Amino acid sequence: MDLFFRKGVIASTGLFLCLFLIVHLSANCILLLPEDISRELYNSYSTTLRENLLIKLVAYILYLSIILHVVYALLVTIRNRKSTPIKYAVNHSNENSSWTSQNMGFIGFFILLFIVIHLANFWARIKLGMGEEVGTDALGNLDVYEVTSSLFHNIYYVSFYSLLMIPLGLHLHHGLKSAFKTLGFYHKKGLQAIAKIAVVYALIMSIGFGIIPFIVYFK
Amino acid sequence: MKVRFKIWRQDSPIDKGSFKVYEVDGLNPDMSFLEALDHLNEKLVLRNEKVIAFDHDCREGICGQCGVFINGRAHGPHENTTTCQLHMRSFEEGKVIVVEPWRAKAFPVIKDLIVDRSAFDRIIEHGGYISAKTGTASEANAIPVGKDIAERVMDVAACIGCGACVATCKNSSAALFTSAKINHLNSLPQGKPEEHQRVLDMTAQMAKEDFGHCTFTGACEVECPEGISINNIAEMNARFLKAKLFR
Ligand code: FES
Repeated sequence: MDLFFRKGVIASTGLFLCLFLIVHLSANCILLLPEDISRELYNSYSTTLRENLLIKLVAYILYLSIILHVVYALLVTIRNRKSTPIKYAVNHSNENSSWTSQNMGFIGFFILLFIVIHLANFWARIKLGMGEEVGTDALGNLDVYEVTSSLFHNIYYVSFYSLLMIPLGLHLHHGLKSAFKTLGFYHKKGLQAIAKIAVVYALIMSIGFGIIPFIVYFK
Repeated sequence: MKVRFKIWRQDSPIDKGSFKVYEVDGLNPDMSFLEALDHLNEKLVLRNEKVIAFDHDCREGICGQCGVFINGRAHGPHENTTTCQLHMRSFEEGKVIVVEPWRAKAFPVIKDLIVDRSAFDRIIEHGGYISAKTGTASEANAIPVGKDIAERVMDVAACIGCGACVATCKNSSAALFTSAKINHLNSLPQGKPEEHQRVLDMTAQMAKEDFGHCTFTGACEVECPEGISINNIAEMNARFLKAKLFR
């Protein structure tokens, strides 16, 4: 299989996941509203999503993207490891490249760990009905707000969710910056712009996702 | 000037190899790094010890033969330079200088600091040339090439194939080298006839050799003696896609 294909899969699934995160963070912002409005809006929004056929399809693309992203990243890592069997006794890679770019797999592992726990906390309970049953709100919608709010009133979960947004930010920064190059975008000025956008995007995502649990905790 | 060289010694490709420390005195700070190694080798000859094998040819930064990992950096501490253009004044008096051969599966060690870079030659064999007859020098001027294209082509044609990009890459990817060769020939009218085939063949050979994937760490463009931009890899990817779609 050619070298391009594997990286192409990682880049395109990565970009799709970047888009998804924007939608996800916008939904999280509902949690910042006063409790009664927030609960109603959040629950009706999540019900709409669950019942929409198109969103269901997108959800499957999303699951597939995460799986492909991880599997192909593993394939790439295996080949890369095989290509570098002997390490240098002294290597100052920090002088020619960023720590993040040198450790995307390591950082990605933490994000995967996060996703697994995050899915167990929400997706498994709400979609698969595993664990404690989820109640309904006054409008009869599944009370997803309650699931979120109770989780974010536990300081351990709040810290976990917020702390792991640091590797997310790092991963997004290098990922977004590089994905376009992998996919063959080579316009010099355009790439410079993308590099800047990547910083802003990564900051918004990591700070946004990281701070909302704390705000809910102190609400 | 006095330094301590800690140099990788390996008798043959199958030998295990190890570091050996040499105290070297009487160096001139204006000596090039290779001259310092020559100086050490002369001492070794007098002591009846085996000299340190290292690659070199032009010693003026244009052939790409020299190239070792010095104190954790390809071609030493400076950016965009070759080992032969590095001078002893870049090092501190009395300090240890660690010298290792390029480390990559695709570049096996032959002896001491010399590695086998024929994987690069095999990539070139798969399309790194043109089939068009170029004629004499005056005929070359008969084919108009725009100034901007000529400039861009010169930037990539500057690649001397030293292998620093592979050596410094955490994945031992040859993407910068291969992209420089592809973008060089494919941007010129003389390279157009086999444009698509060239991209497919050269990247296929790159994949066949023991090189890894490019993950855009950017280390290669920093260590490349010619400062070849990493954007060339993105351009190669675009050419690859185009070749797949339109060949
Ligand atoms: S010896 Fe020719 S480039 Fe260094």
